[in-house]
Amino acid sequence: MKISKKWLERYMDLGQRSMDEIATTVTNAGFEVEDIVPLSQGTNLVIGEVLTCKDHPDSDHLHITTVNTGDQVRPIVCGAPNVAAGQKVIVALPGAKLPGGEIKSGKIRGEVSDGMICSLAELGVDKHTLSEAQLSGIEVLDQDAPVGHTDPLGYLGYDDTVLDIGLTPNRADCQAAWNMASETAAILNIPCQLPEVAGAADIASDVPTQLKIVSETEKCPHFYGKVVNSVTIKPSPKWMQELLRASGMNSINNVVDISNIVMLETGQPMHFYDKNALPHQEITVKDNLDTDYTTLDGETYHLQSGDVVITSNGQPIGIGGVMGGNDSKVEDNTQGIIIECASFDHVSIRNTARRLNLNTESSIRYQKGIEPLAAKKAIDRAVDLLIQYADAKDFEQTVEFGCDHYEEKTITCTVEQINHRLGTDFAKEEIVDVFARLNLEPTVEGTTITVKVPSTRLDLEGMADLSEEVIRMIGYDRLPSTLPVMEMTEGKLNPQQRQRRFIQTFLCENGLQDAITYTLVSSTKKENAIFSTGDALELPTPLSEERRYLRTSILPSLLESAAYNHSRGNKGVNMFEISELTSTQGVIEHLAIVLTGAMNETRWLKTSTPADFYTLKGLVETILERSGISENRLFFKPNQKDTTHFHPGRSAEVYIGKDLIGLMGEIHPLYANEVGLKHAVMAELDLDQILETKKSKIRFTPVSKYPAVYRDLAFVVEKDLPASKIVEVIKRSGKLGKESIVKNVDVFDVYQGEHVGEHEKSIALTMTFQSDVQTLDDKTITTIFNSIIDAIVNQCKATLRSA
Amino acid sequence: MVNFDELRAQIAQEFKEVETLDVLNELRIQYLGKKGKIADLMKQMKDVAKEEKREFGQAVNQLKAETSALLEEKKKELEAKALEEKLASETIDLTLPGRKPSHGNLNPLHLIEQELEDLFIGLGYQVIEGDEVVDDLYCFERANIPKDHPARDMQDSLYLDPAHLLRTHTTAIQMKVLEEQAPNPIKVVCPGKVYRRDDDDATHSHQFMQMEGLVIGPHVPLSDLKGTLEFFARKMFGQEREIRFRPSFFPFTEPSVEVDVSCHMCGGKGCSTCKGTGWIEILGAGEVNPKVLEMAGYDPNKVNGFAFGIGIERVAMLKYGIDDIRHFYTNDKRFNETFDRMD
Repeated sequence: MKISKKWLERYMDLGQRSMDEIATTVTNAGFEVEDIVPLSQGTNLVIGEVLTCKDHPDSDHLHITTVNTGDQVRPIVCGAPNVAAGQKVIVALPGAKLPGGEIKSGKIRGEVSDGMICSLAELGVDKHTLSEAQLSGIEVLDQDAPVGHTDPLGYLGYDDTVLDIGLTPNRADCQAAWNMASETAAILNIPCQLPEVAGAADIASDVPTQLKIVSETEKCPHFYGKVVNSVTIKPSPKWMQELLRASGMNSINNVVDISNIVMLETGQPMHFYDKNALPHQEITVKDNLDTDYTTLDGETYHLQSGDVVITSNGQPIGIGGVMGGNDSKVEDNTQGIIIECASFDHVSIRNTARRLNLNTESSIRYQKGIEPLAAKKAIDRAVDLLIQYADAKDFEQTVEFGCDHYEEKTITCTVEQINHRLGTDFAKEEIVDVFARLNLEPTVEGTTITVKVPSTRLDLEGMADLSEEVIRMIGYDRLPSTLPVMEMTEGKLNPQQRQRRFIQTFLCENGLQDAITYTLVSSTKKENAIFSTGDALELPTPLSEERRYLRTSILPSLLESAAYNHSRGNKGVNMFEISELTSTQGVIEHLAIVLTGAMNETRWLKTSTPADFYTLKGLVETILERSGISENRLFFKPNQKDTTHFHPGRSAEVYIGKDLIGLMGEIHPLYANEVGLKHAVMAELDLDQILETKKSKIRFTPVSKYPAVYRDLAFVVEKDLPASKIVEVIKRSGKLGKESIVKNVDVFDVYQGEHVGEHEKSIALTMTFQSDVQTLDDKTITTIFNSIIDAIVNQCKATLRSA
Repeated sequence: MVNFDELRAQIAQEFKEVETLDVLNELRIQYLGKKGKIADLMKQMKDVAKEEKREFGQAVNQLKAETSALLEEKKKELEAKALEEKLASETIDLTLPGRKPSHGNLNPLHLIEQELEDLFIGLGYQVIEGDEVVDDLYCFERANIPKDHPARDMQDSLYLDPAHLLRTHTTAIQMKVLEEQAPNPIKVVCPGKVYRRDDDDATHSHQFMQMEGLVIGPHVPLSDLKGTLEFFARKMFGQEREIRFRPSFFPFTEPSVEVDVSCHMCGGKGCSTCKGTGWIEILGAGEVNPKVLEMAGYDPNKVNGFAFGIGIERVAMLKYGIDDIRHFYTNDKRFNETFDRMD
């Protein structure tokens, strides 16, 4: 809301306080002053009279004038088209500071100029409040303007400063200047005197009226109407014009200005109809019309069922709470008026204003909420001002539909409760003083305080609200700083959170960037879900088609981020993301990994870790093993679930025991092309299953006292035989009695090529033999070694290559 | 007659002149070998007069011992020299790049999130997460934001159906925690992603991160909030930081405050980061509204407590001087890598 210094000064004595000071104090009490705007700016100004004016010989638009500024006659070169001898004008003397810079005396195209004749725009007046003529030329003052007067801006009433205050939703009452003024006075702790107008509208209560008002909708529960048979249309008084200007509104005529000023003062929008335009003397509020309607701004809007419409004789005469109509507006020839002052449902007004994209001073006020007694105050004030400034007479009695539904309330609290909630030690007197300043009329009994809640302060509902009033008025600088004293609590991450952090740290330390991509995705990304968690949820009214679905898989977004990096020439793009995914089937957290570039690369040494299946597999295995899921519970089986996004021969289903926990492998070349990548390996894993699966406990087993013996073996087998098959056979056959003495099997070479058959490969392995109970002699090892060879030859259709 | 002195001098001279181990070995053979000069001298013993034999023998032995000593000494010297030369020849170019293991790092939002979590864990808080798709009940109703309340204008939400939406604030987690814990004390932080109907630009993002803090107990007044946030501000932005409360409004807290931290860039003198005010608005907080406690199943006459909501992006942007919120979600490696070290 906007309120100016002059406006405040109508009700209170601000003393020597500067606007900056007031702004700070008011802000600290909960009314954030967002801007302090002077209506005009300029120093060293004076009212002058143009004595002579002739064209500049070297210019097609400049004039050479002489101006009497009271103390002397100055030559001034002026470019304004409207300058003429005899005018009273505003002169900025040399040294004057204007928004555009400082004025200096000097020569303009050879002619001496000792100052500047100003337009209002040059003096920082808001251009929106100026007419075309004012914008295109200098300001011409009244003929009786006193030459030599050193405060021309004050003479014009532009010597005001506006506070632009951001109201919190609970203090919509302060949309009304009267309420804001009384709040300001309470904050500054100074007296405040508002106009006394209660009962003004009771005038002519015995004069019968033909006016009938009725509401057919509960969206308009309360409604005043009053006929004023005689008004005189003329300019409004200077103070009213100035206050309107300070609120960013233009003065139209006295009657229209009164409806606006009353709205600004009381927060209650009201509408004045030209009485002649409503010959039926009947106003009905409806919400079931479906029609086009032209408002007083000349625009035509389509009204539909649900919109509150003011009608007379079945025809719309205004959109309730939003804007009046053109046909019934007050004009220069208006003789009598009908006052409409109504309460509307704020949600309905919001919906209509939003749909029509029509935010007016009125609709904004209704949406934010208007206090229940504002309508009465407004009609009283309107009658008061109409009598004073529009020669209003021949009133008829006020008609009222419905009622204000207001009941006076009290709240009781104790000094202890307030201090307990705030952690303060305020004295009773201080607290009572706050309530008194706020006009809550406190009564005290012991340490119990009872306050009355004014109609303007329906945000006050209980002790907590009162505690806020106390601390904001006394000041937050008096709030002590303490730490909670309560029962000891254990601060910690839960096991899943710890494990998730471990995985994040592990992947980061192994070269991967932690990524965050958006939850909402396009239908393309939705369709390309990899290892999807379920059916995607859809937003019925999305921000855009790019953000229509809740994703059920991370990879499509992560691949997009990888492609983004590649398109910008970034190297070594390897990333992961952990994200919650919500689908119709519930919430599951996934871990996705994308590798596209070599890691650990030292180019001059020609060493690096390639971004291939085995690097990815190693990462996945290590994550799982270090999470406590032992190697023998992990299985990588050929991928038969998704061969659209994955290379069918280079991708795997990942299992813990029998549970499928994800897919991983090389990207399918067609899909890679689709997402704009040349190559990638990727994994989408169910992190919940990883975090929640049972983990083995760490247990120490004594290190064997007996020496380990290493033996190498190489076999030629069919190309398709998985290496794991040979490892399995070795582990199964490598037994001495009941003890498994093959402690480790390590594949150290895999060969395909000219030295083996076309459909064959050679696999070489190192076995580690060790017993926990005895030294293995050469003979024992050889026996077992030979039995292993036999088993492999038989069970894997292998040929021994070397041993 | 053998002139031992002359011979000794000659040997010393020859050993002194040796420069390689090969030559030294030749000398060793020449003097100390089985057929060497000293062995020859021993053979001359038989020709020496009987009464001189003893003296001669001693002289030969002494010469042999001295020569051996010389040999050992020279050998050590030459070996040391050879090693030195070998090492010198093995010198590498120290300026070539080392084998740096690849490393990534956390997205700065996660960095801040973890830093905040750890900070509050140190104060005895637990970390609670919640679902992103929430019931309207927990997002609004329980937070004292009933349907059609003007506060709903403050946030425009992404609804899936009339009863469910993507949470607009982590307060939704808080409301669930309150319901689950009532009537017991609470001390938690709740981090998470939140969503609003905003077009993405430098300062707006339809998806962003918040962390909600909530403490409920028999006596947890507003002053405890101040102490807690002072601790937070100093840990995040430096020990010299001050905080200030300004009154504000949130439906779920009463009193509600906006919290400013004295500017960490200029120390409060006024700069472009704090727009000349010396203060930076950092979060919203307040004493939990009794109505909220009551709806969750607490008796507001027996407990109270505070809640605060931190914008993770805001903290990250202020702390690191980031100018565009979209950076956090583009995952450009050049951006993310900025945050790859201890701070």
